[in-house]
Amino acid sequence: MQYCTRCVYPSISAVPLGFDENGVCTGCRAHDQKKTIDWAERAEWIKEIADEYRVTDGSNYDCIIPVSGGKDSWYQTWYAKEVLGLNPLLVTYNSNNYLQVGLRNLKRMREVFGVDHHFFTPSPQTLIKLNRLCFKKMGDMNWHAHCGIFTYPVQVAVKYRIPLIIWGEHGYTDLGGMFSMNDLIEMTAKFRLEHAQRGYDWFDMLDREEGEEEGLQARDLLWARYPSDDELEEIEVRGIYLGNFVNWDGNEQTELMKKFGFEESPVPFDRTYRRVSNLDDMHENGIHDYLKFVKFGYGRASDHACKDIRSGKMTREEGVEMVRKYDHVKPRDLLRWLQYVGMSEAEFDAIADTFRDSRVWQKNSSGEWTKENIWGTPSAYPVPSLTESNIEWSEFQKQAVPQ
Amino acid sequence: MLKKRLIPCLFLKNGFLVRSQGFNEHQLLGNAIHQVERFNAWEVDELIYIDITRDDHYDIRRDDMKVKSESDILKILEAVSKTCFMPLTFGGRIRTLQDIYDRISRGADKVTINTQALADPTFITESSMVFGSQAIVVSIDVKLNANGEYEVYSHHGQQPTGLHPVAWAKQAEQYGAGEIFLNSIDRDGMANGYDTALIRQVAEAVSIPVIACGGVGQFKHLAQGINDGLADAVAAGNIFHFTELSGKRARKELLKAGIHVRN
Repeated sequence: MQYCTRCVYPSISAVPLGFDENGVCTGCRAHDQKKTIDWAERAEWIKEIADEYRVTDGSNYDCIIPVSGGKDSWYQTWYAKEVLGLNPLLVTYNSNNYLQVGLRNLKRMREVFGVDHHFFTPSPQTLIKLNRLCFKKMGDMNWHAHCGIFTYPVQVAVKYRIPLIIWGEHGYTDLGGMFSMNDLIEMTAKFRLEHAQRGYDWFDMLDREEGEEEGLQARDLLWARYPSDDELEEIEVRGIYLGNFVNWDGNEQTELMKKFGFEESPVPFDRTYRRVSNLDDMHENGIHDYLKFVKFGYGRASDHACKDIRSGKMTREEGVEMVRKYDHVKPRDLLRWLQYVGMSEAEFDAIADTFRDSRVWQKNSSGEWTKENIWGTPSAYPVPSLTESNIEWSEFQKQAVPQ
Repeated sequence: MLKKRLIPCLFLKNGFLVRSQGFNEHQLLGNAIHQVERFNAWEVDELIYIDITRDDHYDIRRDDMKVKSESDILKILEAVSKTCFMPLTFGGRIRTLQDIYDRISRGADKVTINTQALADPTFITESSMVFGSQAIVVSIDVKLNANGEYEVYSHHGQQPTGLHPVAWAKQAEQYGAGEIFLNSIDRDGMANGYDTALIRQVAEAVSIPVIACGGVGQFKHLAQGINDGLADAVAAGNIFHFTELSGKRARKELLKAGIHVRN
């Protein structure tokens, strides 16, 4: 195991990243590259793109913005509407697990910016089945959300014949330095399938392997089918990333959006110190992320610390402290999820254990899971039982939107 | 007249597809399979797949994906072949006839040979006799040396050979190479277009097909490789990863420039 010498990223991670001869990761290198870019020139480039796609006769929307109502959605909408003067159609895939604050933000966003909004929710029965199935299949109950977010807005683009889609940041370049900032990378079906969905498409959910008898049918997953190449080609759908054209700084942008009414979570998360991220799904910062720790041995506090170290908001030492404090925490939203899908905590833990990466985790003589740590000494991470410890239904859980 | 060919290249390092720059900077793009599926859908003419791994280590460092991590290049090739329905040239780390046999028997139609051809040019002859010259592509990596002259480099572009690419290409042809895959180390990942002067010199010197590679940053550069460089086929790596339907867009750009490609 190797850790970046500048941020806190480990070499075994959900985001593929490399290291240079000084042990600095490609994510940090991509961040360095941002300092060399002429951002004024890039702002002109996106204006040119906006002009190319602007519908001058008022017969259609100018672009689609996929939104969750989070800080990035606010910034994208503000930029498209106020800076570029576009008339966007906002599109939301609803994972059915919004926090109240997240839903408030989403509603307020369309009011503040005065934009049309298309809000889509798959059937809750299908979502519950997909939660269970994908947890067992790939150790991620939120596969449906990654799929929905990267599929449904593109479907809408094709159906409404709106070729331009404005995404936020290219997450894999921002976190892991997958591409150069000069590549002007755009959204692709390949990115959706391989990186957002781990190679699994909607039809893989119809496979009924043993223990996965959810009985999902093609008609349940119409929203999960990516348009064909012919459909994409017909109207030349193009998904650009705003992060290629503005010097993206999540913290600064959040402060700006707060002035317009964006609200951070009133209660802290169990697994990260940030209160402004992933408010659209209470499990995204919770057990979805806990499963990343179970698999790879790190979590969202590492992700957030990397961003904050690179932007100069935090030292590496402070980042390591965040890793130590948060990455291993078994989050309380698990209790809500177990009720949601009808599973016991023991069953959850047993299935989660099947995804532990052997390059990260070993068992000690007491049968506890142990791993190396960024601070040098390895330690054991026994798995607590939240059910048995009678943990109080926390303030945080009360924030969930009732089903 | 033979049609000109459009050939995407994939570079695999330690199990990951990579974005390459200057032959030494490699950003990790993901696993070996999914991009091949896209090239299939776009009906590109051929695919060149080169393993640039410098040690024996293959690991995509995660096990929760549909495409499982393989630790062996031949298993990776088998998986690639299952989804690749276009002519596949597979290169990298080929030293023996057995290495070629291992690749062709697993679905490769041709192989590229670079370092071993330089170490022992008769290996080109021998392998052409066994597998047919149509299956043997000699790969030539070129860099401008300190004197400002083109020089062939071996070992992943790390070692100068003292050879001029024109002289070496002619020799490779005489030894029995079926094609030349000509890459520019200086242009790799620079996105400033092909070194058309280099391509032209080599293309004019040999009668076997020359595949140009290195430097394509816009699809219009592809046509320059054919019109200015006189290449028989145009190849590129990075650019095909950047945008949707890139293979189709590249072909359209070639047709627009009046190049005789399959449409």
